[in-house]
Amino acid sequence: MLLEKFKDEVEEILSRYPVKRSALLPLLNLAQREEGFVSEPAMRDIAKVLELTPPQVFETVTFYTMFNLKPIGKFHLQVCKSLMCALVRSDDVVTWISKKLNIVPGQTTADNNFTLSVVECLGSCGTGPMMQVNDDYYEQLTEEKVVRVLDDLARDGNCHLKSGPFMFPTTSGKSR
Amino acid sequence: MAQYETILLKNMEQPGYSGSLEDYERAGGYQALRKVLKDMQPDQVIEEVKKSSLRGRGGAGFPTGVKWGFIPKDHPGPKYLCCNADESEPGTFKDRQLMERDPHQMLEGMAITCFAIGAETSYVYIRGEFRLGAKILEKAVQEAKAAGYLGENVLGTGRTINIFVHAGAGAYICGEETALLESLEGKRGQPRFKPPFPATHGLYQKPTVVNNVETMANIPHIMNKGGEWFAGIGSPPKSCGTRIFCLSGHVNRPGNYEVPMGMPFREFIYDVGGGMRSDKPLKAFIPGGASAPFLTPEHLDVKMDFEAVAMAGSMLGSGGVTVMEEGTSMVWAALRLMEFFYHESCGKCTPCREGSSWLTQILQRIWNKQGRQGDLDLLDELCKNIAGRTICAFGEAEVGPIQSTLKYFRHEYEELIREAEATRPQSKEIPVFTH
Amino acid sequence: MPTPSTTTETVTLTIDGQTATVPKGTLVIEAARQVGVMVPHFCYHPKLTPDANCRMCLVEIEKMPRLQTSCSTQATEGMVVKSSSSVQAQEARKMVLDFILANHPLDCPVCDQGGRCDLQDFSHEYTATSSRFQELKRVFPKEYFSPLIETQMNRCVQCMRCVRYCDQIMDVKALAPTGRGTLTEIKAFGAHELDCEFCGGCVQICPVGAITSRLSMYEFRPWMLKRTDSVCGYCGDGCQITFQTKDNALIEINSTQGSGRNNGDLCARGYFGYHVSEHPDRLTLPLIRKGDEFQSVQWEEALELVGQQLLDVKAKYGADAIGGLISGRCTNEDIYVFQKFMRGVVGTNRIDSSARYGHLNGVHALQRVQGTHRWSVSFEDIESADTLLLVGTNITETNPITGLKVKEAVKRRGAKLITIEALNPAIGSISNIVNLAQQHLGVKPTGFSTAILGLLKAVVEQSILDAELQGKAPAYFNAISARLQALSWDAIFAQTGLASDLFTEAAQVFGQGKKVVVLVGPGVLRSEGGFGMTMNLMDLLLITGKLTNPGCGLAPLAEENNDQGAFEMGGTGAVLPGGTSLGDPAVRENLSKAWGRPIPDTPGSSLPQLIEDAQQGKLKALFVVGENPLASLPPSSGIHSALEKLDFLVCQELFLTETAQKAHVVLPACSYAEKDGTFTNTEGHIQSVRTAIDMVGESRPDWEIFSALSVMMNNPMEYGDVKEIGKEIRNLLPGTRTLGPAPLPAQPDSSAIARYVTTDYQRDIAPRYQLPVNDAATDEITLQVSQSLFHSGKFSRKAKGLLQVEATGKIYLHPEEAARRGISDGDMVKVSNSLGEVLTPVGLRERIPQGVATFPEHFDEEIRQLLPYKVDPETQVPYYKLARVHLKKVVGS
Ligand SMILES: Cc1cc2nc3c(=O)[nH]c(=O)nc-3n(C[C@H](O)[C@H](O)[C@H](O)COP(=O)(O)O)c2cc1C
Ligand code: SF4
Ligand code: FES
Repeated sequence: MLLEKFKDEVEEILSRYPVKRSALLPLLNLAQREEGFVSEPAMRDIAKVLELTPPQVFETVTFYTMFNLKPIGKFHLQVCKSLMCALVRSDDVVTWISKKLNIVPGQTTADNNFTLSVVECLGSCGTGPMMQVNDDYYEQLTEEKVVRVLDDLARDGNCHLKSGPFMFPTTSGKSR
Repeated sequence: MAQYETILLKNMEQPGYSGSLEDYERAGGYQALRKVLKDMQPDQVIEEVKKSSLRGRGGAGFPTGVKWGFIPKDHPGPKYLCCNADESEPGTFKDRQLMERDPHQMLEGMAITCFAIGAETSYVYIRGEFRLGAKILEKAVQEAKAAGYLGENVLGTGRTINIFVHAGAGAYICGEETALLESLEGKRGQPRFKPPFPATHGLYQKPTVVNNVETMANIPHIMNKGGEWFAGIGSPPKSCGTRIFCLSGHVNRPGNYEVPMGMPFREFIYDVGGGMRSDKPLKAFIPGGASAPFLTPEHLDVKMDFEAVAMAGSMLGSGGVTVMEEGTSMVWAALRLMEFFYHESCGKCTPCREGSSWLTQILQRIWNKQGRQGDLDLLDELCKNIAGRTICAFGEAEVGPIQSTLKYFRHEYEELIREAEATRPQSKEIPVFTH
Repeated sequence: MPTPSTTTETVTLTIDGQTATVPKGTLVIEAARQVGVMVPHFCYHPKLTPDANCRMCLVEIEKMPRLQTSCSTQATEGMVVKSSSSVQAQEARKMVLDFILANHPLDCPVCDQGGRCDLQDFSHEYTATSSRFQELKRVFPKEYFSPLIETQMNRCVQCMRCVRYCDQIMDVKALAPTGRGTLTEIKAFGAHELDCEFCGGCVQICPVGAITSRLSMYEFRPWMLKRTDSVCGYCGDGCQITFQTKDNALIEINSTQGSGRNNGDLCARGYFGYHVSEHPDRLTLPLIRKGDEFQSVQWEEALELVGQQLLDVKAKYGADAIGGLISGRCTNEDIYVFQKFMRGVVGTNRIDSSARYGHLNGVHALQRVQGTHRWSVSFEDIESADTLLLVGTNITETNPITGLKVKEAVKRRGAKLITIEALNPAIGSISNIVNLAQQHLGVKPTGFSTAILGLLKAVVEQSILDAELQGKAPAYFNAISARLQALSWDAIFAQTGLASDLFTEAAQVFGQGKKVVVLVGPGVLRSEGGFGMTMNLMDLLLITGKLTNPGCGLAPLAEENNDQGAFEMGGTGAVLPGGTSLGDPAVRENLSKAWGRPIPDTPGSSLPQLIEDAQQGKLKALFVVGENPLASLPPSSGIHSALEKLDFLVCQELFLTETAQKAHVVLPACSYAEKDGTFTNTEGHIQSVRTAIDMVGESRPDWEIFSALSVMMNNPMEYGDVKEIGKEIRNLLPGTRTLGPAPLPAQPDSSAIARYVTTDYQRDIAPRYQLPVNDAATDEITLQVSQSLFHSGKFSRKAKGLLQVEATGKIYLHPEEAARRGISDGDMVKVSNSLGEVLTPVGLRERIPQGVATFPEHFDEEIRQLLPYKVDPETQVPYYKLARVHLKKVVGS
């Protein structure tokens, strides 16, 4: 059982809340981190720990867009398509990725490495166009940068172009 | 160009400032908490915040001290503070910076707020996508705990103040305060109708304050320098202090800029933000996040304060300023935002749920040159029947872009519809009753 | 829901110009209803907490900036509300309809809700004849949902009434609103089909045709249906039901919100179990045995034969060689006429009814201690209790609607719940009352008596005692405390696995209660020592000073729909109609006079006694009405040989049951759907049963058959119709309450209590205050044959709807218990003890305590052979629900 494996973490999460159900999102996040998606057994496990029925867990899972109910690729490329990014041509980012990986949004590459999604605003409108790959943000994307990110990820499983702690404009670019 | 004293971004503007506890303390951090715990009563803290005229930075601009004052004093059970770090309003990205770069600032603000309202437990509800921010916050909480600023015996006073970081999982609506509470309770994040208000029936039906990250970050400074100091900054009496405005779109230097409230948009966009990125002039701008109706060049001299923007028919909202250059289709822009609202409507209220899909489909149709005569009247009427008819303010938000673009750029819609009509094969109209 | 406060504080407001004065806290929509203003709504329902999601109920309220939802706004003093008089509100509602209709399919012609659909009605009212919606409607792919409940999610208006009902009222939480926005869809779990209590509540509460019953799908248009209000024939809760019939066929059953003791709520049996009456196996003609065969005959022939046989036996062996047994499923009128027939025409008191199977334990305890044969509390008292103690109730399965009252008290009104149940707190697809308990004392089914004693001991040790009564009856208190002191906590722990502090905490919660109701169910009433345990619970209420307080009392739960009526109508040998004693000559005299027939002064006898006498050849003929003792009792009771020894067995039945197959004559009776009469529910409410369909074949109401027989036997008891019988009963028993809404419950009789606490308690205090012998060592697991939610006796096995949910018996174990034995779900096991061995498949349930296995009694034809049989010395209640057995996995299964 998933939750057996993370017993201490689960205990710690539960200890934060006076009402058990509050631990639902954190535990689902934990489950997804572990398996890449929220599986049925995980939902049942979590329901049990939180004294909920499985449908109660299910209704919550399906409300939130970050939970995948099916396995996805190793890297989840989520390109923001909301207006602010669209103004700085986020649609091109989708095209670049599609071209490079030969997939359209909603699809996963044959090697199961990449899944491409378009998503709504991720809170980095000043640094668009941007995409989130798993936990990391990649901002101010250009075609060149996108290609590098994808290559690095495919090769090393990592890419140093991801954003560090946010600070835009940088001090040097500051207007005063 | 004028120089502005920054308050919230000041620390992180120092070269090498890492946001660690050490750095924060060196910059004078946690002095406010010490002072409050040592010298002040909760009521005095609330008074001071009232005096500062600080208004919420989350969107609605409700006076913070007044909100705290609603918490019943003699309530026997637990009370809660929730810091709203859901930051999902398109065009807004300031809380992210505050959390990632100077987490202790907001934590100190939260600790002081907990003291003021009598809460022992508080949560930072951070949007799920901000993984980095959550990690940084978690670490900061641990640091602060180890240093005695948080935890069971804060600074030896015997007082308990716990802060937990709680990550969401992808739902814009969870930024709405009651939806946030539902979500924090592990449920579908759907707003609750009010009254009762969170101040009496909030998290777990207990008295609860919900405040935005930036609101919290202001608190230590107000405690250090006094409410009057704060009330003197910006555009008194109603829009005091600085605000971090998030600039995006077709400008030279997009980013977060902390400026005193009351600055005209023209100055902000052209001086602070470096003006338009190309030689195309400004066509329209959104003054306060996706929920705020569009404004036009004629509004450039409107002051960036709550009242002035409201007078101009929009709102200061979350402080996200998005600039669009000439050549940008306003129908397209409205559609992009409408798609966002359609995707994010929680589905609880009928007008919002059904209206968002209906509006989106009409806009898509018009944009794809399939518009029809009468579409614009229909849009008008649908918008009118969504705004003000829903539980939360999402209803108003989702129609803002359409109503304002219809108001200022109706000809663009008409143009597209005219094109459609011209190209549509003519068939004999048969009157039908349909649904 | 903000329950209007009980204080008389009121506010006055005007609605569409009319003045309404309502209790403070009343919602505007309800205030409007009171002055006849119907505000249209979808998501609001008086049973549920307001959700204000549909936005249909918008009204204009003076001094408020925008339109308000009347379902979530409380009326305040001086409020001025405009509903239909507000143009703005009317337009807003019309637009809400437009929004809803945008995505609503117009499949009204094939929708079972068409004609009784709120959406249709409001569209009509607001003349929503055209729509400007020309886009694509959202379409959910059609998915199989469940065997009994159908969903058509394209029709859903997302009001969440179903979801809220499932959670707030039922505590089942089986429905999940999934997704977001317009794509919100009600589902079960993942792609799985719905697994729940199948109470039908979601079907009933859905305002449109999104959730409908599969049992009646496409069989009707609502306006073709004829309504007949009646009472459910399954359990003792006595729910109001409405038969919906079309051309004399039962199409569906529902219950009207706000009416009946159930307030419109039903369980699976009530909602989906109605096809029994129309089952093709129904007997349509009388049958007479010819050798090994039955021959269909006309009524005259059968009645003549029965009458003659009874007269012959009587002539030859005396009237006491004839016995009678009647089902607690019959109406009061049937039972009354039957016992009158047996006593007055046949001339014997040797009759019994299914109240003997356990309900008598409760009734006798009430009678003995407080002098009433009914509860001194009502369902309303359960709902408004501040403290509830449930002992061995298995309430969801046995008395589901009483269970809802408990849920209401705990979930919505904050009552404290103490449970002594053979259940683990665990979540499953059926609600589990112990999950709501503040104090749960989980025991094995053999542990109830010890747990009750433990609670009593803790009460005494904590001195949670009524000082006044103690002063008046010191000997009674001393006797109890002395006996409790003699019991050690160690011994109590050894038998229950529960430490003393658990009892202490429960005792404290119990002691703090001001309005305390104790509910007792089959775990106590039908288990060895049942009477003693019930008496001890009476003691608990008495010594803590609660018994006589308003809103307090003991509530033994009747399992069958008219067990209470069977007792009150004189259906249990030694008790005459009205619960009076056969042994009292004055009572007998009165009744004889009224009947114009002598009542024999021979003793009445119980079913166990009848069996014994038949085995010994003392009983020669048995008249069985609606009972099936061969299928109810285990072989160890001797029922087989008893029946075989009889000279004459007559069964009056709906079906050719196991017992009927052994009969010499079988008389076809009609079901409750085909006759008029009354049932008395567990709390003593007498309610009308009404004819919904024509009698099947030549079947006749039971009373009519007795009446005809009495004519054959030259001692006619003639009745024109059921009303005449009812009138006779009421004249005879002034205590029989008339039909009608909520009469006051019976009051404890202080003279009875005084008698009990001075002398009468002594009679059996010694055996009651002893720990039972611990036989845990002898076999390895306790088998409990118990009630399932989806069945009622063997009767419901003819209900095709219920069979879709539960069609066979399984032995249920805790998953860990099973794992420890290397048994998995679905495996075959051999269940055995000295009485025999049986093969059965295994099911797993987390709520079953370890060391316990359960088996549904409705499918117990095999497993029954393992059950030992004992009879209560005081009440003659037969006990046969528990056994110790071995379990062994059958290899290769
Ligand atoms: C649809 C909607 C989304 C919102 N999203 C956010 C958000 O992301 N962050 C935020 O701080 N406030 C958000 N708000 C505002 C909150 O409801 C609330 O007013 C705020 O958190 C209060 O904090 P403040 O008084 O400090 O501004 C949102 C409101 C609505 C109606
Ligand atoms: S299924 Fe019916 S009751 Fe349930 S939410 Fe939909 S419309 Fe409402
Ligand atoms: S309630 Fe969902 S949008 Fe307002």
